Amino acid sequence: MTAIETDLAAALNASPNAYFIVGPELKFVWANPAYLAVTQRTAAELIGTPVFEAFDAGPGQDAPESTRQLRGSFEKVFATGVRNDIPVIHYAIPVPDADGQLAYEDRYWSVIHTPLLSNGVVAYVLQYAIDITELENLRRSAAHEEAGALHAIDAIVGGALLSGARSVQADNVRLETERQGLMELFMQAPGFVAVLSGPEHVIQIHNSAYAQLIGHRDISGKPIREALPEVQGQGYFEFLDTVYATGEPYEGRASRVLLQRTPDAPLESRFLDFIYQPIRDAQGAVAGIFVQGHDVTETVRSAERQKLMIDELNHRVKNTLATIQSIAVQTARSHADPATFAESFQARLMALSHTHNLLTRSHWEGADLDAILQHETEAHGSHRVTLNGPPVALEPAAALSLGMIFHELATNAAKYGALSALEGRVMVDWAVADQTRPVLRLSWREIGGPPVAPPERRGFGSRLIERNVRHDLAGEVKLAYASDGFSAEFSVPLQRDRSS
Amino acid sequence: MTQTLTGRRVLVVEDESLVAMLLETILEDMGCTPVGPAGTVEDGLALVADPAPLDAALLDVNVAGRQVFPVAEALRDRGVPFVFSTGYGESGLPDEWRGHATVQKPFTEAAIREALMKAMGVAQV
Repeated sequence: MTAIETDLAAALNASPNAYFIVGPELKFVWANPAYLAVTQRTAAELIGTPVFEAFDAGPGQDAPESTRQLRGSFEKVFATGVRNDIPVIHYAIPVPDADGQLAYEDRYWSVIHTPLLSNGVVAYVLQYAIDITELENLRRSAAHEEAGALHAIDAIVGGALLSGARSVQADNVRLETERQGLMELFMQAPGFVAVLSGPEHVIQIHNSAYAQLIGHRDISGKPIREALPEVQGQGYFEFLDTVYATGEPYEGRASRVLLQRTPDAPLESRFLDFIYQPIRDAQGAVAGIFVQGHDVTETVRSAERQKLMIDELNHRVKNTLATIQSIAVQTARSHADPATFAESFQARLMALSHTHNLLTRSHWEGADLDAILQHETEAHGSHRVTLNGPPVALEPAAALSLGMIFHELATNAAKYGALSALEGRVMVDWAVADQTRPVLRLSWREIGGPPVAPPERRGFGSRLIERNVRHDLAGEVKLAYASDGFSAEFSVPLQRDRSS
Repeated sequence: MTQTLTGRRVLVVEDESLVAMLLETILEDMGCTPVGPAGTVEDGLALVADPAPLDAALLDVNVAGRQVFPVAEALRDRGVPFVFSTGYGESGLPDEWRGHATVQKPFTEAAIREALMKAMGVAQV
């Protein structure tokens, strides 16, 4: 200790005023003889004991409020490094009576808490407490007498000053209650909130929504560049610097930020609506920045999803229109008569539409082969078409292709093939071979129809069948025009590897 | 005025056979010879790598769940002009290809002719 520090310690020890020092855990670190005398304790009893264990303000009605007030004052000084006064506090302390039994004695105090700094951090708090019990008692008894007597006493002992202090203290209690109410609102606000101070933007307070946003890191008391290093280079620190320098608020909308929300995990992208507002001191200079905002990531993402869905819908609608356009153009080429064109075109459109219905029923997950075959052939009499095979689930693209293919086969059979004769029948048999890379093998055979000859020129129907199977289904088809009946043999892979 | 397109060999990359058939019909009506059609990016690349002459190409942007751009790059390297066909329109193209000749589905013969001439740098009369 330096000479002057030794002198100060000696002076505090010799002082008739009561002093003690507490550490951050609010335990007694030191107390002077005057304090020990007024509380009738020994240093051995107190040093290392928590203040509120040694003195709990007793059983009185206002005791919980008194301890809260005193504890709050200590905590405030530790947190802010600024001196705090409590002009009047009612705080009973246990004092040994004549028989050595501890009994609570009502006491009134005026308390000053002074921070003791070490390397710029509050290491201890010094409490200076003046026992004003006698003054208070005098005032209280005088209050029952006539008003004049009270004034006289006040005049003698400075009671006016004391009553002024009392009203200030009442204000302080009210303000403190309001401040705590506001703090609670602030901490529980659904949006994120933080208070930054100084040109380095030191984080003074942040609420739970802010903590959640940044992954509950320990950032209190740190400059923002140190607290959130991953944000460097994303522009936000520069915005803070500008707000601090100019005093102009800054607002961001659906602004993207990459944050380290989980240690060692990749940076996470969040979208924020936020505002940086300058906080000014009594002289009007910018002293800090108030940060508040909302995490709007879910809203931004759902808007993106919606855009993707609309794009995809547009793509599908345009592709379907192009398909219908193709059907119209090709159908027109083989039908010079508008009436037969309309009939044939509509039938093809209905076949396409029906497969869409089947797919919609399964939420476009797929459709059953048998259901498609049934629909495309039922118009020609179910007793004349035999369907025989296991259930086969088709992917949407395969279902659409096969729907059109079966429509062409059935239409041809009704026009020129087996279904054009009274006794003619169609047998459709299928099986799935090779379960690891399943392949659908299906045969369409017509019997009992008129004699068959290969067509002179390939119509749209047979071209559509051949192209569709090869091109869209990556399969094979053989159309055979035997004299006793037309037949078609299909071989179609069911799990088409889209990447190959 | 379609004579500039007569005899041209035009590659078609399109995964839907009905749409491909329509494109072939339109190309044949214009006097062109359709090449392909390719239903996947791989088939498209194989046809571009083939030494047979190619004068132009029509590329569906989304082929069998993939984007057609590798084929577009191969054509650019080979110096073959091409036209994108898409349901999204030109705004659906990534920045690298924005502004490139594009036809929107469904398409008319006139739109395809115009886009092919633009891509081939043939002046319209």
